[in-house]
Amino acid sequence: MKEKRENPGDLLQGTLDLLIMKALARGSMHGYGVAEWIHQTSDDVLKVEEGALYPALHRLELRGLLTSQWGTSDNNRRAKFYSLTASGKKQLAQETEFWRRMSGAVTRILQTA
Amino acid sequence: MLSEWRNKTVLRLKALFRRKQLDRDMEDEVAFHLSMAEQKNLENGLGPIESRHAACRQFGNCGLAKERTRDMWTFAAFESFLSDIRFGVRMLVKNPGFSLVAVFTLALGIGANAAIFSVINGVLLNPLPYKDPERIVAMRPNDSPPNLVDIQRETRSFSQGGGINVKNMDYTSGTEPMQVRGGYVNAGFLETLGVPPMLGRIISPEEDVKGGPRFVVLSYSFWQNFLSSDPQVLGKTIALSGNDYTVIGVMPPNFVPPREHADVFVSLSAAYPDEASERDLHFMHAYWRLNPGMTLAQAQAEMSAMDHRLAGLYPDSETDRRTVFLPLQESLTGSVRPALLVLFGAVGFVLLIACANFAGLLMARAVARRQELVIRTALGAGKSRLICQALTESVLLAIAGGGAGLLLARLGISLLLSLKPAALDRFNSIHLDVHVLFFVFGISLLTGVVFGTAPAWSVTNLNSAESLKDGARGSTSGQSANLLRKSLVTAEFAIALVLLVGAGLLIKGFSRLRSVSPGFNPQHVMTMHLQLPEARYAKIPRQTQFRVQVLERLNALPRAEAAMVMDLPLSPNYVDPRVVVDGGPPVAAGAEPRAQTNSVMGNYFHVMQIPIRAGREFTPMDREGQPLVAIVNEEFVKERLPHRNPIGARIDWTRAPEPQRWMTIVGVAADVKDSSLGEPADPAVYTPFSQSEQAWRRWMTLVLRTSGPVPGLVDEVKKQVWSVDSQIPVSDILSMEDVMAVSLAQQRFNLLLLALFAVLALVLAGVGIYGLMAYSVSQRTHEIGVRVAIGAQRRDVLRLVVRDGAKLALFGIVIGIAAALGLTRLMASMLFEVTPTDPVTFAAVAFLLAFVALLACYIPARRATRVDPMVALRYE
Repeated sequence: MKEKRENPGDLLQGTLDLLIMKALARGSMHGYGVAEWIHQTSDDVLKVEEGALYPALHRLELRGLLTSQWGTSDNNRRAKFYSLTASGKKQLAQETEFWRRMSGAVTRILQTA
Repeated sequence: MLSEWRNKTVLRLKALFRRKQLDRDMEDEVAFHLSMAEQKNLENGLGPIESRHAACRQFGNCGLAKERTRDMWTFAAFESFLSDIRFGVRMLVKNPGFSLVAVFTLALGIGANAAIFSVINGVLLNPLPYKDPERIVAMRPNDSPPNLVDIQRETRSFSQGGGINVKNMDYTSGTEPMQVRGGYVNAGFLETLGVPPMLGRIISPEEDVKGGPRFVVLSYSFWQNFLSSDPQVLGKTIALSGNDYTVIGVMPPNFVPPREHADVFVSLSAAYPDEASERDLHFMHAYWRLNPGMTLAQAQAEMSAMDHRLAGLYPDSETDRRTVFLPLQESLTGSVRPALLVLFGAVGFVLLIACANFAGLLMARAVARRQELVIRTALGAGKSRLICQALTESVLLAIAGGGAGLLLARLGISLLLSLKPAALDRFNSIHLDVHVLFFVFGISLLTGVVFGTAPAWSVTNLNSAESLKDGARGSTSGQSANLLRKSLVTAEFAIALVLLVGAGLLIKGFSRLRSVSPGFNPQHVMTMHLQLPEARYAKIPRQTQFRVQVLERLNALPRAEAAMVMDLPLSPNYVDPRVVVDGGPPVAAGAEPRAQTNSVMGNYFHVMQIPIRAGREFTPMDREGQPLVAIVNEEFVKERLPHRNPIGARIDWTRAPEPQRWMTIVGVAADVKDSSLGEPADPAVYTPFSQSEQAWRRWMTLVLRTSGPVPGLVDEVKKQVWSVDSQIPVSDILSMEDVMAVSLAQQRFNLLLLALFAVLALVLAGVGIYGLMAYSVSQRTHEIGVRVAIGAQRRDVLRLVVRDGAKLALFGIVIGIAAALGLTRLMASMLFEVTPTDPVTFAAVAFLLAFVALLACYIPARRATRVDPMVALRYE
């Protein structure tokens, strides 16, 4: 049951998942909100490609890290809201820790003369 | 990880049932996103149309995102599998000829297998319907009730044991006198089998004593058929063989005693107190239940010691005790087991041939579809994907074949059951059950995968550039695939030869067996069984009176001559007491040789046309109060009275009390096959019924010879019997030829099945080689055209094609002969007077196969001769 298609965003897939979970750690949000939050919070550095965002959201949902619920948005439209599950929170903590160690290690290596 | 997987599966399954909803949600979600982006663009001051376009551009490929998401929510591999199936079904439906041939070929193989497997399943695999049947052992040979009591008292190996002897009883509480099967048991018997009664109780040890109460336990079928399932039956009385028995229990529907069916169970000691206390009457079939932790070997060792002790205590009758215990299942199936396994092996071979044909068909088709596959490969289809597709098709075909095979198996089973030999009689669980369904599904799947893999592989394992050229040239193509097909055909012939040799040997043995003279003339002889009830016929003179009257009346009928015998030749009853010869060499007491004994009345030897070699037949003068006389057979003279004039010699049963009541031999009759046509005659002694001392043997068989078929004879005989005593049931109405046929039923069963399989194998192998040759001719049309164009004659072309096929067949035949030489030894026990390597059979079968091969090659070869070179050269 391996996914056959190689996804162009695959390299950053782990990162995208982490960012999505981080965004949802603050409370439930719809897909557009997640994209906007990442965009703004990163001071417009990170731009999430929507074509990758939705598959990522659904993948996380299938893995049981997110749940979703249909609700009404601020402008009174039907929208799908995602929120972090308990195991999602655990996963977020683990991946955050992992990311810190990785980026620290990479930074240390890059700082050498 | 596991919980994550479970979570995924659950969500996917849920999604499966609301696929539409899922699609709409995805649609909505994307639409919402786009509208939010559009709104933001508007707020940023873009125009309405531009805002929408920007949002869409920013999103990228909406369709791809949706599809990727969608794939995530579904079982992608499974769905591609489903689409393979859909495609496969379409391809198969588009080629109905190919599909039908493939399905039918497999259906034959699988159907025959399923039918035989269901017999094996019912007979050898299903556990016997008793409590812990693996703890029950059967005792060989039979033993007497007092011995069983002694063993029960002393044994530490067995918790419980008991015996049964099934004899006819008259049931006279119904509308007309009926003969039923009475199981004479001791109290331990039903207890040992451990099946509790459905109603009431079984006979207790306290009641199973001399002079005990006449209680009866009914079988379910008797209760249902004769007492209309009366729920209040307990405590009622029924009349059995002239005595009233009180019903105390009814057994459950699935209960059958181990060896043969019985309608009612009564205590032997209560019914026959005298016989029950005779130590030397070894007539109980006994079964024992092993104590927990005891093994068969331990029980056997203990029994050997007990045999020794009994021999010391009762030297008159127990000297040569050699008791053997067998696991119950083995004791019941031992006689049919080898035959069934040989048949199963044979039917497995049929399946192999069917599979080889199936693989050959697939391969031919795959080669024909090669261009298509090569193009698909060139366009980038993965090899594994193509193999999957091919396998899906072959498995689909195999499963369709299995389904059709099940239908054939149903027919086959009813055929088998109609031929069912007596040895399989007690097994009423032969039918298509879950095991058989699993079996069929399993072999179908296996067939599809195993025999579909090679063809699937052979077509994808190609260098596409090479193949495209190859195909374009239209030359002999697919060398490796063809080689595989050729080996398959060779293998088919080898296997068919093994089967045909097996069937040939059986046929030869069977025809030998049938041509064995039984020692009498079975033509135009009618037989009927009579049994006198004990109550009114307790004494010999009363029995004699009945017999004499019946014979007188029957012999007064025109065109019929009647006599009586106790047990017919070739019927299962067989009594062989020990016999001493007056003035013979001294023999230790209890070690005297046995002789089969039979009582007769009327001109039995004349009616049966058994020649009298010396002396005379019995006459009406040889009756009670007259000097005791006997007639012996030639085998008896040879063994017991060598170098003596048998006429006038005196013999006696050893168990007769002193003083000896010597019987004088007045005649010597020719040997008669008594136990089976395949075995030599045993020494035999005939005595007149009227001089018998054994009043308990109250049964007899009427034999009537007519000059030809006499319509209404049976009714006339019944009328005459009932004019003497209207309460006597007349049963087992069979012609003597039927009796012989019944005695050959097992052999006929084996023969018919194996012959059927061999014919199947022959046809399949013939079709296989025909298919290959026809295909190869069509592939070589171009080459043949060239040959004809440069001057090849008709017969050159014929030879070219036939030689190719004949080589394969011959090769197969040689391999088959080698294999058969090894395998036919396994069926030695099924053969009569034929060695398993009988050269005549081998040669005949080889010629038959060669002939079929030539015929199968000749048809395509003739087609090849009609090739028009002009057309052929333009071909492709």
